[in-house]
Amino acid sequence: MNAKVEVIPGKSEDFVSRLKQEWRQYVIYVGFIVIFIFFSLTLSDKGFLDPNNLLNIVRQTAMIAVMAVAMTFVLSCGEIDLAVGAVAGLVSVTTAMSLAKFGLVGGIFGGLLTGVVVGSVNGLLTTRVGIPSFLVTLAMMGIARGSAMWISNTAAIPILDKTYYFSFGSGNIGPVPILLVWALVIAFIGHIALRKTTFGRKVLATGGSETAARFTGIKTHNIKLQVLIISSVAAAIAGMLYAGRLRSGRFQLGEGDELSVIAAAVLGGTSLFGGSGSVIGSIVGALMIGLINNGLILMGLEFSQQLIARGVIIVLAVMVARSRK
Amino acid sequence: MERGLSCGGAGQHQKEYEIKCSGCVGWSLPYRALVNTKLVHNEMSQADQQSVDAVAMIGIAKAFGGVAALEHVDFSVQKGEIHALLGGNGAGKSTILKMLSGVHKPDKGEIWINRIKLEEHTPEAARRLGIAMIFQEMSLIPSLSVAQNIFLTREPKGAIGMLDDRAALKESRVLLEKIGVNLDPRRRVDSLSSGQRQLTEIAKALSQQASVLIMDEPTSTLSSAEIDHMFEFLDRLKKSHASIIYVSHRMEEIRRISDRVTVIRNGRNVMTKAVAETTLDQIVEEIVGRRVGAFERKARIAKQGEEVLRCVKVTAKPRPIEASLTVRAGEIVGIAGLMGSGRTSLAKSIFGLQPVTSGEIRLKEKVVKIGAPSEAVEAGIAMIPEDRLTQGLVLHHSVADNMSLPVIDRNSRFGFVEEAKEKALVAQYINQLRVKTASPQKPVRTLSGGNAQKVVLAKWMATDPLLLILDEPTAGVDIGSKTEIVEIVRKFADRGRAVLVISSEPAELLALSDRILVMAGGRVVREIKSEEIDGWAASSTDTAHRISLMETGLQVAIQEANA
Repeated sequence: MNAKVEVIPGKSEDFVSRLKQEWRQYVIYVGFIVIFIFFSLTLSDKGFLDPNNLLNIVRQTAMIAVMAVAMTFVLSCGEIDLAVGAVAGLVSVTTAMSLAKFGLVGGIFGGLLTGVVVGSVNGLLTTRVGIPSFLVTLAMMGIARGSAMWISNTAAIPILDKTYYFSFGSGNIGPVPILLVWALVIAFIGHIALRKTTFGRKVLATGGSETAARFTGIKTHNIKLQVLIISSVAAAIAGMLYAGRLRSGRFQLGEGDELSVIAAAVLGGTSLFGGSGSVIGSIVGALMIGLINNGLILMGLEFSQQLIARGVIIVLAVMVARSRK
Repeated sequence: MERGLSCGGAGQHQKEYEIKCSGCVGWSLPYRALVNTKLVHNEMSQADQQSVDAVAMIGIAKAFGGVAALEHVDFSVQKGEIHALLGGNGAGKSTILKMLSGVHKPDKGEIWINRIKLEEHTPEAARRLGIAMIFQEMSLIPSLSVAQNIFLTREPKGAIGMLDDRAALKESRVLLEKIGVNLDPRRRVDSLSSGQRQLTEIAKALSQQASVLIMDEPTSTLSSAEIDHMFEFLDRLKKSHASIIYVSHRMEEIRRISDRVTVIRNGRNVMTKAVAETTLDQIVEEIVGRRVGAFERKARIAKQGEEVLRCVKVTAKPRPIEASLTVRAGEIVGIAGLMGSGRTSLAKSIFGLQPVTSGEIRLKEKVVKIGAPSEAVEAGIAMIPEDRLTQGLVLHHSVADNMSLPVIDRNSRFGFVEEAKEKALVAQYINQLRVKTASPQKPVRTLSGGNAQKVVLAKWMATDPLLLILDEPTAGVDIGSKTEIVEIVRKFADRGRAVLVISSEPAELLALSDRILVMAGGRVVREIKSEEIDGWAASSTDTAHRISLMETGLQVAIQEANA
């Protein structure tokens, strides 16, 4: 009896204390809205609110968003993947080449296989050999980019298969760009996987405290291996989307994306130290980066200035989101 | 002692085979008798025979690298019993616990848990049989909620195989209520107090059908209100036939909560008795034992000089509380106390690792404000931390580099290290402290514990500090190096330096200190002068006996301080 009476006042108190504790997790959404309103007011005459411009933002950020979903898992389990951008570039090339040789199915298969192979190598080196994923994926970044340059002779490989480039990147369903569909579907799968499956729970546990997770009977090495494979496969999908959008495979595609992807995840409230993550946050983080890029271009800043402004904004945002304790 | 082996009244079994004991009603565990082991049916009381053992460890032996940690230990815990397991540092307690929880495999002997033999020595297997070790926050994921932690890897699932956090929450509520813990299962573990975390761990263990809980120093991080709550809780658990193995250094707690007590010394079970049938002195005596060849307490020629350190009511959060002490030049002052008594916190406050909220620290009678370790070093204070391997040394750097690091500025000119000077210094210390290393260029991690500790000592003695603070200077060090380290510290003090020693090993404190301060609950509660220490041993002239008398005296003093 007594205990029950105590629980009820505990609830409302708890809500306030939870809000106090967790408001920073939601600051990204507020930030997103604030930046959106700011650009709407200042850049309305430059066509910021034009539906075409907004859809362009979506098209530009879809690949980052896809990779950021997987990066949420990687960071949540306490690892990092720096190779995603380079893998996207490599996959755009392998997909284009296998499309030309084996047709549609072969092309898609070739792209995904590249992702699985790279991810397995990353994961096995990290978990079985014990090299930190930071180093493994840093090395893989060079290997993937180099391989892409080598096999393509640094030339763009055109994609002529209409079905392919319609469904991977260039097409629209009514007014909706197919890229948005891809990003939403992957975000949905990612969100459910992280929040609603035992796999997601194990990922969070592994990153939260690896010793404790192992003691609870979680095979943390396997979890990490799987997560690194997922990350490379997501990068492969992003590479295939790049290839579809540009109707060609090029080794330069995805260059520098790793930083945008990690920034998107961290902006969205995923901890760089593992243990907590939010797929929706990462998606919003990716959109926010796209939004900032777009706004800065419309403002007429030079590329050099854009880089500086983007860096400053990301640091500020992460500071607000992370300054716990 | 032989209770674990007694069986059947058959007298003698010559061959190795499985025996079912038919004589004892309650003891029907089958077990493997060793070849030529004489089995004697000893006089077990009727009550004993009726009771059921939740844990039976029989003839356990274990050695690490040729050094015996346990020799033929029998240990049993009954259903519905709280059994205290006691012993000094390195006595073999933790080896027993690790064996029981499947971390180590015994070299000899067998382990039965709830009448089933532990065949596969893994943590998973032990857990399946009902053993749960309550680690200090070890098995919880800080970023998950209480409910998520309780059901980790066994999450309730909804219709299409998705996690049903609501069901987990509901079940957690029921579970927590059933065991009488008032805790909101939605809270994240990193927002809980240590007591709440331990309760969460226990709830998790119980939800996995654990029947034997192992608790290692569960109260060291708890407040006294939390301890009361915990004890009530353990009492209720016991009544529901759970068994609890309880490890603690606080005798008061042992008396309060446990039914039986087992003392391990030098890898052997030296006593198993009902708590009601024994006394504090008796328990302490068994823990301490009669040590032969341990270090002696030698009277130092007291050439004490001026006051070097004076703490006046130094307070920091959460400990120490109004701690006052003085250390003179040439004097070695020991600080005794249980874990969590504030010994280390006091040292940290003096060394600038923990901000002092009130009170003052004087060095050579001048008030100093020390906000960071660098300022402490500048003021002439050196501290050798408890966890020397991570805090005191750069493990993959060479012996020479480690020794010369604190004086690198003194040994360089225009930013270039003067190698000749450095070499000479390093050679001098390696020689003086008898550091056993193949070469000064060998990385420190290749050294033994004792030698690594000597490198730490050298490192700080090179700075020639006014005051040297040592936190557990010989923990994890072999006995030979221990005596050497004690000798080094004494010589250092003889040079007119002040030394403050913190240790949980009474023998070490007694061997080193001119005076011993006892801390409890963050306060310095007692000062033991040299004469009083000698007084404890006045009744004997035999060295070994004198040492154990002094140790008993100090242990009792620490227990009294905590009562």
